Amino acid sequence: MSEPSVQVPPPVETAAPQSFLSGLLAMPRTMWDSLFRHPLPDSDLGASQTSFSNFFLHIHPVKVHRNTLRPFYTMGLGVMSFVTFVVLGVTGILLMFYYVPSTTQAYDRMLDLRGSVAFGTFLRNLHRWSAHAMVAIVFLHMCRVFLTGSYKRPREFNWVIGCILLLLTLFASFTGYLLPWDQLAFWAITVGTSIAAYAPLIGKKLQFLLLGDQAVGQEALLRFYVLHVVVLPALITLLVAIHFWRIRKDGGLSRPVEADLPPGAAPRRFEIVSADSTGKQTFGLMGFVRGPFTKVGNVPDNTVYAWPNLLIAELFVFVVAVAGLLLVSLFFNAPLEEPVNVLHPPNPAKAPWYFLGLQELVSYSAFWGGVGVPGIEVALLMLVPYIDRKVSGVGKWFARERFLANTLFVSFAVLNVIFIIIGTFFRGPNWTMVSPF
Amino acid sequence: MSETNQPNNPGSSRRSILSWFSGAALAGSAAISALANFVFMKPRATYGQPSRYSIGRPDDYPSGARVSLDQRRVCVVREGGKLAVISTICTHLGCTVGVSDTGFACPCHGSRYDQDGNVVGGPAPKSLAWYQVSLAPNGELEVDTNIAVDQGTYYNL
Repeated sequence: MSEPSVQVPPPVETAAPQSFLSGLLAMPRTMWDSLFRHPLPDSDLGASQTSFSNFFLHIHPVKVHRNTLRPFYTMGLGVMSFVTFVVLGVTGILLMFYYVPSTTQAYDRMLDLRGSVAFGTFLRNLHRWSAHAMVAIVFLHMCRVFLTGSYKRPREFNWVIGCILLLLTLFASFTGYLLPWDQLAFWAITVGTSIAAYAPLIGKKLQFLLLGDQAVGQEALLRFYVLHVVVLPALITLLVAIHFWRIRKDGGLSRPVEADLPPGAAPRRFEIVSADSTGKQTFGLMGFVRGPFTKVGNVPDNTVYAWPNLLIAELFVFVVAVAGLLLVSLFFNAPLEEPVNVLHPPNPAKAPWYFLGLQELVSYSAFWGGVGVPGIEVALLMLVPYIDRKVSGVGKWFARERFLANTLFVSFAVLNVIFIIIGTFFRGPNWTMVSPF
Repeated sequence: MSETNQPNNPGSSRRSILSWFSGAALAGSAAISALANFVFMKPRATYGQPSRYSIGRPDDYPSGARVSLDQRRVCVVREGGKLAVISTICTHLGCTVGVSDTGFACPCHGSRYDQDGNVVGGPAPKSLAWYQVSLAPNGELEVDTNIAVDQGTYYNL
């Protein structure tokens, strides 16, 4: 629309109901109105008012930049990560109803899920594959943010929060790995917590604190359970909220400078939403919100209303992601190995795929593979926005100005993927090189 | 109200000292609470295996035997009148090593040890531990995994 849309809001009904009966008759309507402060929007003003007055919509901006909605700019990876997290929360809570974190019962409960719980196999599949998907998608989301230079000012700290969220995702996945109490679980956690023990000074204490004992046993199972179902989800939820909030406070998603005024686009006259058509301007709260979306007067603008544009985009990503997870969960069963046998580690004993790169590195040197190299990688990753201060090349995939940074990042990512592939497919008994073909 | 903010007003410095103390007290309490959580999380008693246990009588192990006690994660070695107990916990990442013809081999990351537990291959950073063995009054051998002895230290039966 080229003209600012101005609409008079519905008059506030202050009159008391005429009689008890008419009040009673109007009850459904009254209840509905008390639940939803604004009707489904049919105008731009309505869209902003509905967005502002609804808790769940309020997380969205009223207006969103066109660049944000380009499917191949974000690939929807951030929303997709969140969708997998929600699916994990729902399926996780459901699985908790049938799970007991006890070394004598946990494995039997896994078998019960298969045999005697309605949708048990399916729920476990969905939880397991969503966990794998979340790790992969969060990683891809990080790649997107890096390769478009989106961690630069003013988004430095949101990048750091994102890095912490990636680590929490891996830790949540790792703690969940022990819960089925099968061979894979036991030995992957034995190896994983032994890696932690190689950390300088605090290593041994950290391992003892994690396991609650000298070796993986009942105490470790209980501790990992509490971390997995309470501590880590709560932390992730909090950080996700901050992550989302900061996106808006940092001015929405990153975009190239020229995206704010596309060539040939005429600047709009007004961008203030007025609640009054008499010329006496009464501004809605949305007119005074800080950040780049506050448009007063003659400001070029390339935004659209979040309702319905952003909501439809998010719904699309949600449907695609959930459909994918459901399909995978219907056709592939989550693995369950033999029950724990403390005496006989499987040969080879392998960690979950996303830690196999680490395990491969660890097979060369426990300290450097398990603590040194990953520690340096994580530190570098978090410091990237404070090291790379150039402002050019933001908002474009593989920007020419960012050739060096992108090349370094892609090299590291590819190197990690290569180690994962070697660990997954090329390692046989006693961790000797084997050919998968 | 405005005069209380002037630097020479005695009320102003009293206020800033009080707020400094309150801030320090709050921060201190928060730090102590955080520390208390770590103390809480560290178990005082563990429920796992005891560190001292009996492995039976010396006659149970004939000369030349290399018996892996899987439950205890140790290997009992007897050579003539000498006996030793070697840990089968891989020094790399804590997997249980298997007894092989040449010594010990770890299934997890391919560490290999010789008969005495010396590293001969793989990523293991140090050799397998030897534990103290003693003869209890009832004639049974007792192992203490808290006390490591030098490699090659046999108990003379």
